[in-house]
Amino acid sequence: MSSLSLKGIYKRYPGGVVAVSDFNLEIEDKEFLVLVGPSGCGKSTTLRMIAGLEEITEGELYIGDKIVNDIAPKDRDIAMVFQNYALYPHMTVFDNMAFGLKLRKTPKDEIKRRVEEAAKILDISHLLDRKPKALSGGQRQRVALGRAIVREPKVFLLDEPLSNLDAKLRAQMRTELSKIHHNLETTFIYVTHDQTEAMTMATRIVVMKDGFIQQVDVPQALYNKPCNMFVAGFIGSPQMNFVDAEIVEKSGDLYLEFKGNSLKLPASKINDDVRSYIGKPVVFGVRPEHVHDEERYLEEMPDYVIDADVEVTELMGAETFLYLDVDGAKLTAKVAPTTTAKADERIKIAVSLEHIHLFDKETQKTIIN
Amino acid sequence: MSNRFFQGVVYQLRESIDKTVGVLDENGTVVACSELIKVGEKHEDVAIAVNSTFDVVKQDGYTYKPISPAPGYEYIAFVEGTDEITEKYISLVVIALTNVKQYYDEKYDKNNFIKNVILDNILPGDIYIKARELHFETEAYRVAILIRLSDKSDVSAFDILQSLFPDKQKDFIINVNETDIVLVKEVKDTNDNKDLEKLAKSIIDIINSELYIKAFIGIGTIVDNIRDLPRSFNDAQVALEVGKVFDTEKHIMTYDNLGIGRLIYQLPTSLCEMFLSEIFKKGSIESLDYETLFTIQKFFENNLNVSETSRKLFVHRNTLVYRLEKIRKLTGLDLRRFDHAIVFKVALMVKRYLVSNPTKF
Repeated sequence: MSSLSLKGIYKRYPGGVVAVSDFNLEIEDKEFLVLVGPSGCGKSTTLRMIAGLEEITEGELYIGDKIVNDIAPKDRDIAMVFQNYALYPHMTVFDNMAFGLKLRKTPKDEIKRRVEEAAKILDISHLLDRKPKALSGGQRQRVALGRAIVREPKVFLLDEPLSNLDAKLRAQMRTELSKIHHNLETTFIYVTHDQTEAMTMATRIVVMKDGFIQQVDVPQALYNKPCNMFVAGFIGSPQMNFVDAEIVEKSGDLYLEFKGNSLKLPASKINDDVRSYIGKPVVFGVRPEHVHDEERYLEEMPDYVIDADVEVTELMGAETFLYLDVDGAKLTAKVAPTTTAKADERIKIAVSLEHIHLFDKETQKTIIN
Repeated sequence: MSNRFFQGVVYQLRESIDKTVGVLDENGTVVACSELIKVGEKHEDVAIAVNSTFDVVKQDGYTYKPISPAPGYEYIAFVEGTDEITEKYISLVVIALTNVKQYYDEKYDKNNFIKNVILDNILPGDIYIKARELHFETEAYRVAILIRLSDKSDVSAFDILQSLFPDKQKDFIINVNETDIVLVKEVKDTNDNKDLEKLAKSIIDIINSELYIKAFIGIGTIVDNIRDLPRSFNDAQVALEVGKVFDTEKHIMTYDNLGIGRLIYQLPTSLCEMFLSEIFKKGSIESLDYETLFTIQKFFENNLNVSETSRKLFVHRNTLVYRLEKIRKLTGLDLRRFDHAIVFKVALMVKRYLVSNPTKF
């Protein structure tokens, strides 16, 4: 049983720096939980507190049903993989993976069994006799993972393990890690600042900022129903567009007014909460894929069509990003690569109001998703 | 190590026990043997077998045992025979050879030499004489990195670091005491603090993941001559001490990046006390409670911006203004003014310095 429970966890340093505040979370057995947030948000500190490498200032940490606040890291049945994985340069892959076990005087046969099993899971059985300098970046990363796997821990803690890899390898290793998690059937707690890693691998994501949990949810829910502007902006690439606006009532209907444009809010985006913001400043958010320039969208959504100046276009292959200026408001649109829009042109765009999010300008909390 | 030392001892042992006695290096090559003809023979399979047990191995009519039992041994002793009495002989042979090795290490070992240099146990004039004796490059870029473990460990951090830096000509690992290990590393002249911090990070990561203990690292200055190594080591010690006072959340401290902390660390405590009593004439710094100090900390972090700080503290702007007013009444310092803020910031640092009472190097 490798569930974890974090109750009211705080980390305060003697100098007054508060790294983590009121952290409450239940992590289920065999979950792939990702802690994500900008640097300095407290995600690594949280991981290190779980590992026992940082003292918990306040709160309780349970592994299974046992409180482990005062239990030494080596007795917590965890294994860690970090960003700066260093392999022992003069040892073979086998010895690199076996080294920790040898130091702990694990019997020879047991070491052999564990290393060979881990190598099989990681698909590096054919590399066991090689030295690190003869390995590629991805293979080295697998060996680093192997060193953790041979310990057969209840929980794996991974702190940005892919950050040192190039973009292509990172994408490959994301898939590999998901497979490994599936094969090992163990709890993974993974720290990253890369929202793509979080979205692609996690069963659940914890978004953190300034030491506080902002939202905990499955990837799709985080993307579709962010609880505030920070989460909305952090999850998704290119990030969500934010525009200052005002909700105005005209003859019974509600309109979103911004930069001289007035768009009628659809019924799905009106509730009592939204009504309470009539006449007040709000921020509306729309993801780039919901800003369209194709003819069919312009025809389908005539009420949501506005003019925009194209500042830059970026062809990404499968799609094109248009960087637009709508009377001072900056918008990014993700459109088909067949688009004819060019820089310095004035074009018509349709903003799909069915997909917008409204936020309180002061508190930055979501009014409606 | 010079194999002739081993050769002299195995000849003497052969006379006493009347069996073939010898020594293999870590790759399984015979480097000394009572039967000279065997010197140079390869026994790689033995090295592999010993490597996986770190204990006695019996094979092909010989008994083998590593000269030091821990991982990272350099030599394996062997005696002809596999019976019980040979097993006793091999233990005695290992004791004898370990002593020879220790004697050699003390006299000729580069590691020991570096240890004496950084700990100032050798006269400056003798450094060059000894360096010449050991064929040691005196003019090379080197840096001392001090690794402090938060706790003792069952497993040797020393062994882990030696495995991580196996180049015994360029990297030297020295045990200073139970929790402190120094790495003296040869670096390129193009290496900067960023490279060293990356290296330090990988050391911390491996100690965390292999030993499950916390580690702190102080990085000294890069020096270009062996006579300056004690300074680099001293700087690494200062970096750790200053970090312990002013950057408690950091694990890696570089001497070149200590900032204002280094200045305060150099001040005599009497001067610091005088400064504090001068600044807090109206009321002592102790009169500020935790919440107030936390507010001040956040206010500084947010560049004295009242709106931003109140948002971060989840309080109304006016509440923050009220708290700042309270601080002004208590201390006479208006933190919204830059000159007052900087005085307060320095005073807080001085206070922390006095409370933590760090070791002076």
